[in-house]
Amino acid sequence: MNIAVLLKQSIDVQELMVDPDSDKIYLEEAPTKPGEIDLNAVEEAVRIKEKVGGKATLIMLSTWGSSGKRKREAREAIKRSLAMGLDDAIFIFGADGREVDTYVSAKVIAEKVREIEANLVLAGEGSEDNFTGLLPARVAAELGWPYVAYATSIEVEGDHLIVTRSLEDYEEKVKVKLPAVISVTQEINKPRIPKLMEIVKAGKKPVKEEEFNKKHESKLKIKSIKVPKVERKKVVIEGDLDEVLDKLLQALKEEGVI
Amino acid sequence: MRVVIYSDVLDLAKELIGLANELNAETELILAGMEPDNVVGVDRITLYRGISPEDQELVLEALKQAEADLYLLSNDRRGRELVGLLAHSKGGASIVDATSVKVEGDRVIAERMTLGGKGVAVEEAKMPAVISVMAGKYKPPEEGKSPEIIEKEAPSIERRVELVDKKEKPKVGVPLDKADVVIAVGRGFKKKEDLKMAYELAEILGGVVGATRPLAADLKWMPEEVWIGISGVRIRPKLLIVIGASGQQQFSAGIMDSKVVVAINNDEKAPIFEVSDYGIVADLYEAVPKLIEKLKR
Ligand SMILES: Cc1cc2nc3c(=O)[nH]c(=O)nc-3n(C[C@H](O)[C@H](O)[C@H](O)COP(=O)(O)OP(=O)(O)OC[C@H]3O[C@@H](n4cnc5c(N)ncnc54)[C@H](O)[C@@H]3O)c2cc1C
Repeated sequence: MNIAVLLKQSIDVQELMVDPDSDKIYLEEAPTKPGEIDLNAVEEAVRIKEKVGGKATLIMLSTWGSSGKRKREAREAIKRSLAMGLDDAIFIFGADGREVDTYVSAKVIAEKVREIEANLVLAGEGSEDNFTGLLPARVAAELGWPYVAYATSIEVEGDHLIVTRSLEDYEEKVKVKLPAVISVTQEINKPRIPKLMEIVKAGKKPVKEEEFNKKHESKLKIKSIKVPKVERKKVVIEGDLDEVLDKLLQALKEEGVI
Repeated sequence: MRVVIYSDVLDLAKELIGLANELNAETELILAGMEPDNVVGVDRITLYRGISPEDQELVLEALKQAEADLYLLSNDRRGRELVGLLAHSKGGASIVDATSVKVEGDRVIAERMTLGGKGVAVEEAKMPAVISVMAGKYKPPEEGKSPEIIEKEAPSIERRVELVDKKEKPKVGVPLDKADVVIAVGRGFKKKEDLKMAYELAEILGGVVGATRPLAADLKWMPEEVWIGISGVRIRPKLLIVIGASGQQQFSAGIMDSKVVVAINNDEKAPIFEVSDYGIVADLYEAVPKLIEKLKR
């Protein structure tokens, strides 16, 4: 099996500061980190490789700018994935997320998938910052490969995969012909924590760094991002538990919700 | 302008028809393996009796063959899965999680939640475009034109995905996104049996129980349709009581439209208190039984 794993650097939304009064979103100041579910895809690639052999390459297109800080964060994430067991990585930087939509990203990524002659592409079902899940679908369409989303388990059976996937009302088991693109959920596995030795070794694995060159026009434009105004009272009710609960029930009655 | 609508859930398709009517478009509804019961407000229905909604490749092919400026899909998992596939093959833009959709000339403008709920993005694209729209944002039309119905054979294409098995997941009754009172439980509960407290509280208040993702997806203590958040359901009850959940952004993004939020957590620094109206710093194992006792009186 020759696997391409798509890993995105996501804005750490927990750390992201926003100001509802001025609609200012402090994107540059926020750290980025590897999409958590993308790390499940990394783990799954390593497990598949351990079972059936082959090679697994990380492809990262960084879309949150290319400042020194962003590159550092991205390289750290790449190193982590290599330490988890991927063989090498392709890091494409210099794209600006505001100009590069999933259409363009998919074109760029699919080109790399072809270049490394992968026959399986794995990605997370979404990343914390946008959670659209659009990219793997578009990569599949670009490659002309079948696409199955929301995988909770993957087994290799010759030139097919048996994929269990989770939908709202149903759990489905499907047989997919390779080559294919699969997106995984967080429940598929527990990403391993690399040991120190593996981290040291990861530093020697090949990482190809390439500059993004703009060959395609985005289909989508982000006109603005506003900060939703949710007014919360944020009252922590003090006192002993009896008192606290009485006050709570009083307040809820006044609000007219009980 | 032409709009094509598809969903594997008829009620969601009807909401999309409501939206299409606001856009004053010529509309076609595509249905796979289901009957058009009480569908009004569309010009045409194309029925594929030979395709079932799980035949993703066939549904996609049917949608590809339908020419439109705008494709509206439901935002459930089957719908979302199709958005990127269809958009890319049409060479068009794609938007998921849309909460509103407008058309201006040859462009479509949609709003959607982004940055884990900390932002609302206004996105614009030249059509063709494919958009999946959140449930509950548009009303199905009660009256309107009666559609012409056309039946088509399933397209014949080479299949690469084959359904081997399908299991229905257990159901909970009242859908979470329609409930007036929701009790949301998190990993602060130590055992599945302890959830009884939450169900009892819900029953007294006439509500339903929802959960954080780990409780539903990892521990499988609850059906998956009750997990709240960016990757689950977004709720809008009058009263939400969050018990033993930390309030990570991915969860909190799903509760923003709630009217009153109460949080019970024994960690005074838990982020949930930042997005609540009333906070109670207490052990849930003491607070919840006491609350039930007081409500019963
Ligand atoms: C891309 C992505 C998407 C995600 N989507 C979702 C989503 O849609 N929904 C979702 O919920 N999560 C989602 N998650 C997971 C999310 O980040 C959190 O991990 C999850 O919400 C935490 O669940 P929790 O609050 O139950 O658990 P924890 O974070 O472990 O919190 C447990 C809380 O219980 C409190 N507690 C413990 N004991 C007691 C006690 N005796 N009494 C009172 N309080 C107690 C603790 O103080 C703590 O605050 C997503 C993650 C990723 C990466």
